[in-house]
Amino acid sequence: MGNTNPIAKILKNSALLLYALFALFPLFWMLLISFKHDREMFNTIFVFNPTLENYRVLFSTGEYIGYFMNNVFVSVGAVLLSLAVGVPAAYALARFDFRGKEDLAFTFLSFRFAPEMLVILPLFLIYQKIGLYDTAFGLIWVFQLISLPFIIWILRGYFEDISPEIEHAARVDGYSWWRVFLKINMPLIKPGMVAAALLSFIFVWNNFTFTLLLAGQGVVTTTVASLKYISSDTVHYGQMAAAVTIAALPEVLLALLIQKHLVRGLSMGAVKG
Amino acid sequence: MADIALKQVTKKFKKNTVLSGVSIDIKDKEFFVIFGPAGAGKTTLLNLIAGILVPEEGVITINGNVINSLEPEHRNVAMVFENYALYPHLTVFENIASPLRSPKYRQPEGKIRDEVERVAKILRIDWLLQRLPSELSNGQRQRVSLGRALVRNPEVFLMDEPLTHLDAKLRHQMRAEFKEMQANLNTTTIYVTHDYLEALSLADRIAVLNQGRIEQIGTPDEIYYRPATEFVAEAFGEPEINILTADLVSKDGSMHLNLLGDSDHFAVPGRVRQALEEHGGDTVRAGFRPKDIKYNFTGDSSMLRATVYSFEPLGAKAILTVQADGQLIRLIAAADLDAKPDQPIYLKFNMEEAIFFDSGTGRFIARAGEKGVRSVG
Repeated sequence: MGNTNPIAKILKNSALLLYALFALFPLFWMLLISFKHDREMFNTIFVFNPTLENYRVLFSTGEYIGYFMNNVFVSVGAVLLSLAVGVPAAYALARFDFRGKEDLAFTFLSFRFAPEMLVILPLFLIYQKIGLYDTAFGLIWVFQLISLPFIIWILRGYFEDISPEIEHAARVDGYSWWRVFLKINMPLIKPGMVAAALLSFIFVWNNFTFTLLLAGQGVVTTTVASLKYISSDTVHYGQMAAAVTIAALPEVLLALLIQKHLVRGLSMGAVKG
Repeated sequence: MADIALKQVTKKFKKNTVLSGVSIDIKDKEFFVIFGPAGAGKTTLLNLIAGILVPEEGVITINGNVINSLEPEHRNVAMVFENYALYPHLTVFENIASPLRSPKYRQPEGKIRDEVERVAKILRIDWLLQRLPSELSNGQRQRVSLGRALVRNPEVFLMDEPLTHLDAKLRHQMRAEFKEMQANLNTTTIYVTHDYLEALSLADRIAVLNQGRIEQIGTPDEIYYRPATEFVAEAFGEPEINILTADLVSKDGSMHLNLLGDSDHFAVPGRVRQALEEHGGDTVRAGFRPKDIKYNFTGDSSMLRATVYSFEPLGAKAILTVQADGQLIRLIAAADLDAKPDQPIYLKFNMEEAIFFDSGTGRFIARAGEKGVRSVG
């Protein structure tokens, strides 16, 4: 390994740098565009006269704030529901043995396999029939297809890593089952919970298919709202970019704040011992 | 302060019967050892008493009260787990204090601090109180686990192989400390182990468990000198007892064993002869502990001839294995003995210490002398 080390290091770093540029450039470009006037959109690249016009238009009506809050409401709601349902489910899969257990676990995971387009037509008809079409609750419920598998799959690994003996010890110490769950289990799965919740949040926040086709005018999220900027004669790239930048802000901020937990959370569940 | 009793307890896991018809009576303040090989069902038994598992059949009582349906947190038992089961996110102090902060056994904070420090001092871990379990050695973790049990004032202490995962030297040391602690415990204790030395040195009484069934319950002397079955005899003693099949022959008016092709040298002691005759049958399994077989390289006609098979020096002593009549016999020898394979050697068996088992069932028939006889009262 001797003298190839500095070269390998340079190569590694340049590869990472290249990938970082590749991944971050669209975001950077989007930020750039959001400060450009429509008239300067196609004839300038990096040098232009920056303007806040796009942002001003965005907030001039209260509409966009409304879309943003809708997004917050359904995303947070979906993740909370997934946690409420998924944590006990993960515990059951980790601790108990029952007929069809692995099949059930695989079914949960399989929710992520199917492309959303595949299920959208039957879902549309069902939602219309039971009146969940264009409701926040309807969206929260369908979002479980996205967020639940993460919670269950990641937390199951975490619960399996906690030796049952620890729970037994706490019972013998004088704690009821419920207190054991709160005092012992929950703190130990916290990194996993944070990571899974954040991942779920990101996917649900960005969701386009379900919000487009299962919600109409009543619940409009930021993803769907960006369609508005495609009008009959032109595409208002500047305003679209501004809208998307604002929309992306929460997830970027959350991820940055919790990145330490995220890495720990995603890797720890996997390594045994 | 409690009598614990199990009556005909059976535990199954799916189709697997782990414990079958187990009945044990443990007296108040007794140090009771449950001994058995791996997989015998010892931990399961302890878990049943703690309330972590529920038996399929049978009744478990504390002080005469049936506790089958009582949750673990209500049973007032303290348990030391084989793998310590320390809470990884709490400090040593918090681990030991944990039972005293539970809803069931709560104490005021000041008292908690005193108790934890008292116990930590006894166990010599008072300098580790702010560490996390991941920052401790195995021996230290074991003491924390012990400390968590000792802060309690339970009906019974349950200990699941607490010394098993310690290195040999530490184990010997802790065994001595346990013996001392045991005298001060003043509480019924049930101690599980697969190490016969721990069982013999610590126990008031031992229950020998094999494949989910009780083979024998008795004092260490009873277990060692009057093992109820060949399994019990073989489990206690290193090197293992030599159990050989022999025919019973009548010679010159007395009973002899035809052992290893030799029927001249093994006279059966009087009382044993009576028992063997009552028992019937003309073959028997005779057990000789390695220390009860004397050897010499120059023999006389009263000794049995054999050849050296192998010699293993083990520091202070050595295991000498000899071969006679196609069978291998283990003896204890001095470590500096000069023994070569195939060397002729002469053996003298101490018939007064021999233990006789039924050749069909392997159950104890008789032995000479009064050793291990249960004293009345």
